[in-house]
Amino acid sequence: MLVIRPLQETDLDDLFRMAGSAGKGLTTLPADRGMLERKISHARDTFSQRCAPEAGLYLFALEDIALRRCVGISGIQARVGLDEVFYNYRLSVTVNASRELGVHVRTPTLHLTNDMTDTTEICSLLLADSHRGGGNGLLLSRCRFMFLDDFRKHFSDKVFAEMRGVSDGGGQSPLWDALGSKFFDMEFAEADRLSGLGNKSFIAELMPKYPIYLPMLPPSARAVIGLVHDNTVPALKMLQAEGFNFNGLVDIFDGGPVVEAFVHNIRTVRDGINRHVLVRHQPVNLQVPVEERVMVSNRSFRDFRVTTIPAQLIGPDTVSLPRNVADALGVESGDPVRLAPLKGSWPSPIHSVRDYHKLDYGPRDFSSRG
Amino acid sequence: MWLVRPAQPGDLNGIRDIAETQGPRLSSTLPRQEENLAAKIRQSGQAFAGQLAAGDAARFLFVLEDLDTGRIRGVSGIDARAGNGQPFYNYRRDALIHASHELGISRRVEVLYPSHALTDQTLLCAFAIDPALKQTDAFELLSRARMMFIAGHRTMFSDRMVVEIQGVQNSSGAVPFWDSLGRHFFDMDFETADRYSGMLSRTFIAELMPSNPIYVTLLSPAAQEALGQPHTLTRATMELLLREGFHAGCYLDIFDAGPVLQARTDALKTIVTSHCRELHAATADQGETCLLATGDGAAFRCTLASVSETLKGEVLVPVKTWQGLECSSGDRVRIASL
Repeated sequence: MLVIRPLQETDLDDLFRMAGSAGKGLTTLPADRGMLERKISHARDTFSQRCAPEAGLYLFALEDIALRRCVGISGIQARVGLDEVFYNYRLSVTVNASRELGVHVRTPTLHLTNDMTDTTEICSLLLADSHRGGGNGLLLSRCRFMFLDDFRKHFSDKVFAEMRGVSDGGGQSPLWDALGSKFFDMEFAEADRLSGLGNKSFIAELMPKYPIYLPMLPPSARAVIGLVHDNTVPALKMLQAEGFNFNGLVDIFDGGPVVEAFVHNIRTVRDGINRHVLVRHQPVNLQVPVEERVMVSNRSFRDFRVTTIPAQLIGPDTVSLPRNVADALGVESGDPVRLAPLKGSWPSPIHSVRDYHKLDYGPRDFSSRG
Repeated sequence: MWLVRPAQPGDLNGIRDIAETQGPRLSSTLPRQEENLAAKIRQSGQAFAGQLAAGDAARFLFVLEDLDTGRIRGVSGIDARAGNGQPFYNYRRDALIHASHELGISRRVEVLYPSHALTDQTLLCAFAIDPALKQTDAFELLSRARMMFIAGHRTMFSDRMVVEIQGVQNSSGAVPFWDSLGRHFFDMDFETADRYSGMLSRTFIAELMPSNPIYVTLLSPAAQEALGQPHTLTRATMELLLREGFHAGCYLDIFDAGPVLQARTDALKTIVTSHCRELHAATADQGETCLLATGDGAAFRCTLASVSETLKGEVLVPVKTWQGLECSSGDRVRIASL
């Protein structure tokens, strides 16, 4: 069984191993032990509310209960751009026209902005190669929306994700080579690495502040603006299915797109339903196809846990959880849980009982669980 | 015998013939269409005669006439106020330091800023001469006659002067700076833009030119090399102007990035060194060859003459060179050495 739970200090070795094998392009999780240690400690402070809500960094671990190992991580940064400056380029259009000459020219232009400042970012998704497939990536990513849903006041109304842009096998980024490197004498991979270590805003301060007219960049660079890296296509598709859209902003280094959605429009949020737990003692076969599984969260802030169960366990006002699942979630009979489909939308039988989600029992905010 | 005098309506064909011997860049100040050229000559006549309505731009056009044949062999001009009441566009080449204390990096970044700072300064323009005369004194006469005119009519001109020098253009006609920048926004080739710039009001520049600063490092290498570089054909003009006291500053032409030379009007060599004397006849062709100017406004004439000065503040000039000056013994004339 795989369970989402807050990241903790004992995950450091597993995390370091995963970050090391992820390679270039994962700026938010560099394979730097000290850095990872600080992140874990930051996340612990966040879940235990020892830091200001806007400074929160929520990191979730995907634990393989049988192996007792952390095999994936995903995160939410409560607000970006508060203690450093958060930069993006906005891809917009400049029109120059002369009626006298009958000339009307549209020039795509990049404007440096700080538009995402004070917005919640979903970030740091990483899944061990050994656990790819079987809906694990979906669980790792979508569990965050269940958390956002239950604790909305800690986050902005809108959330966004920066998608990795195009770079080749050697770590060369066409946009960086045509733009960033002209202002900052450094290879993309190195700039990317420095970004991960928290130096991104320093680098951004060296970048051009005036708008960049795209026709002045080579075609190879223009072509990648707003495009994602091949490896990131599945993640983009998943977010698009969730209701995220390209918002016109791109990364200042590699041109990767920013996608965003309002929390209330996110599919996982809209599809979420509430039930009370009914612990049952008969064993249940948890190994059902992805399409027949649903995420179930314990709605706890401090000890947020999510796992997947067969959809058939959902009743009109309760959900039957086998003992081992209830233990993994830290719930007992009568506790409120929230459910959402793991992949796509609800299978049709569930629709008949969806109205029950209006009975909101409220999240078990801040309740302390062992 | 060479004579520089205000252009007259009858000079139209002569001026057009000269304009046709020049490269394309000239057309921004010397239109090739007959009606535009005629209008320009008419406007110049009004400026010389002091008949301009208040607020009209004073634009003076001079011609170089070969008195022996009566042919027009060159043309030059002064716009009393660059832009002629409209904005005068240039790029100002400037630098920013992009520095990060944390990363220990400091980097100089060159930027071209659109600028109107030179608007209303006096502009020397429309210089064109028969290529056969490039190595002769007539070349200097045609150019410096303008400074002689300014010296004699100082209040009509501003304290600062500018000249745009033609920038780099390949033998194939391509202008690297235009191809790297202007073409993207104007959606036309260099010659078309240059032609429009002579024909139409310059509003189209305001409408089409990018309004944001341009990073030099994003220009093509050829365009970067061309910044502030004069066209090889303009070397003689440029050298003459540098001797006159002009210097290349940080301003560039917006179309071809040719240098814009600047000077303080009162520091120009011709204006500092020229002086007024009483004209008298010399019996022999003696003395050094000087610029000799006379007449106000439409009566302005400038020629080359052998001049010898007397201790009484008179100048002795052979009578045969008085031809065309329309003056008589005892008149005040302005002289400057070559």
